[in-house]
Amino acid sequence: MITLGHYLAVAAALFGMGLVGFLTRRNLITMFLCAEMMLQGVAINLVAFARFHGNLEGQAFVVFILAVAACEAAVALALFTMLYRRGKSLDVSVWQSLRELGVPPTVDTEPLPPPPAEERVVLPPAGVRPPRSGDEEVARV
Amino acid sequence: MPQLSLTPFELSVGRIALAAALAAIGFYFLLPRPSGRRIGPGIAVLIAAAAVFAAWLVGAFGRPMPDLVGTTLFGLFATAAVGFGAVLVTQRNPARGAIAFAFVILSTCGLFLLLAATLLMAATIIVYAGAIIVTFLFALMLSQTAGPADENDRSREPLLGSLAGFGFTGLVLLTLYLNHLAAMPVGEATAPAEARQPVRLPVAVLTSGERQALSEAVSRLDALIGRLGVESLPPDAIEPLVSDAEAVRDKIAVVVGSDEFSRPGSIRERLEKLGTRPGEPSVTLVRSDEQARRVLSRTETVRRLNQQAQDALQNHLLEGKPDRVSVAARFRELRDETLLLAGMADLPARNVSNLGYLLYTQHLLAVELAGILLLIATIGAIAITHRKGVTS
Repeated sequence: MITLGHYLAVAAALFGMGLVGFLTRRNLITMFLCAEMMLQGVAINLVAFARFHGNLEGQAFVVFILAVAACEAAVALALFTMLYRRGKSLDVSVWQSLRELGVPPTVDTEPLPPPPAEERVVLPPAGVRPPRSGDEEVARV
Repeated sequence: MPQLSLTPFELSVGRIALAAALAAIGFYFLLPRPSGRRIGPGIAVLIAAAAVFAAWLVGAFGRPMPDLVGTTLFGLFATAAVGFGAVLVTQRNPARGAIAFAFVILSTCGLFLLLAATLLMAATIIVYAGAIIVTFLFALMLSQTAGPADENDRSREPLLGSLAGFGFTGLVLLTLYLNHLAAMPVGEATAPAEARQPVRLPVAVLTSGERQALSEAVSRLDALIGRLGVESLPPDAIEPLVSDAEAVRDKIAVVVGSDEFSRPGSIRERLEKLGTRPGEPSVTLVRSDEQARRVLSRTETVRRLNQQAQDALQNHLLEGKPDRVSVAARFRELRDETLLLAGMADLPARNVSNLGYLLYTQHLLAVELAGILLLIATIGAIAITHRKGVTS
């Protein structure tokens, strides 16, 4: 039988991974999704406690978590849209000046790899006959 | 091969620390970096971390009793949730990360289903996977840059971030384990490993018949507590109340025993008879199985509380004190302990109506506040993205 402890441990693992993602990633949307993963861990905790204590209080609280997560998604998306309009990027390091005083600025020392060069395909312009070499047999029609 | 004689406590703590350290190293390998990341070793280290975590889980909380379908489903959903969560955190492409998060939601909803939360399963899939993730995917695709970008290919402090996050997770798991240990008698956790035989008990610790009897007793106790909480009790309602209380007492006493009538109860009979007959495993086997030990101590608690609750009811009816509120509190204690002994509660099948009833009677203020919060969030979202001078 899967006991309460099993569920709580899985929820703790999900919360921890969300925490790591939120601390390390720089894309605003990925950071938000990691925060949502933390909320999912908490939700599993609450529902497991509801099951093992035999009442529905834990599930009622998860309904509130769902409502708050929806609010949070709406406001977060509005914020990201506005920030993207101003900064032209989804990188959170663009807004470093909003940090607290005394924190050294994030400077990217390693250069990004160059984008993979696409093959430039040269198409002949339509309608122009390509030049032909002299010793080619031409079918004179 | 010389066996490391670690106490179970040291073994569990060592496993937690190893799992946390391996996970931190694995995530450090896999978080995106401009100078290329080591994907193969990272995945291998993460699989090792997951294996150590699973070993700790099985070792710390007891081997799951045979319930093949439930255990398989739990293992499947839990592995999928943790696996796709790792993909979300380490995946370079945010759109793929969002799809991985959709699968995390699906696995979490599978776990909700196993925990008898059917409305939450449906609501979470619809709200999260349906609305939130789709909205964010659209936003991503409208703002994606092709090729390497700062926000996708760099991580802030991958090593320190992973260590901090998994250090925290390791501490949480350790606290969980320590609280679990607190239920065990002192000294058992620190006994050397050779003294404990890892042999399974030949009998079930709690049979399904006993579990069912205890669950029925719990639902009857719920009804009883409801009736005890009524404002005024008409005199003709007292007789049925007393007879119901005695019926519940007898039902519980069949399983856990009764000191008053010196009955051992079916749990103790089954577990303590081991070792009295020749050819059977010894009594130390029962004491070394932690589930058996926990069940026996909880049986004793339920027996004591059963007696106390009945005495409180009798005293209230005869002398008028303790008052009905504290009698109801006694019965509530008994109900909670019996539920913990039964191991898992039976939640009502009509999940939606019961959840609605609970929300609109006991949590009405919170519902109203959540509605106001949603309204403010909507207004705020519109206000944030409003551009001055642009007519809609």
